[in-house]
Amino acid sequence: MDFYQVGLFCTLICVIISFIALLRERDDIHKILVVDLIETTGLVIVCLVATDLAEALVLPGLVVGISELLMLTELYIRKEKLPLPAFQPIRIEVMRTAPPIITFALVVYGIILSGFSGGAVAGIGLVFYFMCKGYEERFALLEMVSGYAWALWIVAFFIFMILPQAWLIAVILAGGAILMKVTTKMALIGTMREGRDV
Amino acid sequence: MFNLPIEGEELFILEFGDIVNYFSVYTTTLFLFATAFIIIAIIARPEQQTDIIFGTDAVYTKEITHENLRFQRFMAIACGLATLGAVCSGDLFNFSLFTALIGITNIGIVAGVNNRYVLNAAYNYGIVAMVATTFLFGGAATALGTCGTLSIWELAGRGMVPLAAKMFLVLGVMGEGMAPFYIAKAEITRAPGAPYVLMIHVSSLLIFLRVIEIILTV
Repeated sequence: MDFYQVGLFCTLICVIISFIALLRERDDIHKILVVDLIETTGLVIVCLVATDLAEALVLPGLVVGISELLMLTELYIRKEKLPLPAFQPIRIEVMRTAPPIITFALVVYGIILSGFSGGAVAGIGLVFYFMCKGYEERFALLEMVSGYAWALWIVAFFIFMILPQAWLIAVILAGGAILMKVTTKMALIGTMREGRDV
Repeated sequence: MFNLPIEGEELFILEFGDIVNYFSVYTTTLFLFATAFIIIAIIARPEQQTDIIFGTDAVYTKEITHENLRFQRFMAIACGLATLGAVCSGDLFNFSLFTALIGITNIGIVAGVNNRYVLNAAYNYGIVAMVATTFLFGGAATALGTCGTLSIWELAGRGMVPLAAKMFLVLGVMGEGMAPFYIAKAEITRAPGAPYVLMIHVSSLLIFLRVIEIILTV
């Protein structure tokens, strides 16, 4: 038996254990956690069986799983009528002085990288900035930028399919658009702590 | 592809590489059915129930706020569009993705109702839908691992897809299409969400019909 088969066997056991856990669990909030466990182990199986195209299945699987998790937790908060926790944000020296320069460096590096990874790098910079500095932001604007960037990304894909000879402009378009989209989406994560929507 | 008994005649094909979106008589029927219900969701006004207090002359009319109405209508239309996608996609993976989206929007339709019993039912359905997503993706992955392609067009009539993958797909669709049972459990067929709840039933019916077509074809 080689490593692959051992891995597959172990993952199957994990899946079975998590299903048994779901059957025995009665508490609502724990059910969410156990279901997330099932999703994760299921994705590991997908990784193992779906050969070279697994990436194309795992990434959307992860996204769908996370969106369903968010939806369920949101529903749970509504169902139980839980209040938003009120807490004092921490205030330390480095959070006031560091953000501009670190964010600047990360955003510039992200723009040079471009594409998905560039978007992630620039997005992390913005997350850091928003978390430390607080903000007054119009979220509709961020969402609009993200939406237009997504549309440009799709346009780039159509150029790939319809006009393959114009691949260079399509690559530039797709790289720039996905940079914008990932950056704006990730920046929203940094705004979950405090601040207000103008 | 189109000489199989369930498909009927070929009407339209749209090629994207090896993924071919096709419309046969069968899928076109489903497509038109979903379109009709999207139009109903767009033009329908919400139902305003009246409660009569027993023993008196008092009558209450339930108000539905504009915000709530907009949210539910948006979710109903989104659910309809996801159903359209699931019905006419020529790819096992796109089908499972659209089916997962139907599950999410189904919960969105009822989540606007601020009632503990309804939210409880929606929550339980959400857990079932989340587990079902794993089966859907597992089915697509198993088919991909054994056949090397996800295109229904290329797999049609060859019988290459293993029984396990088909079972996973059916199990997944059963989980996602479980919504009407929870609707019945929460008894909101004629409650505040009234005309938009129809979309949940329609989408579940259509994905069941579509998955039957898929497992008989591939």
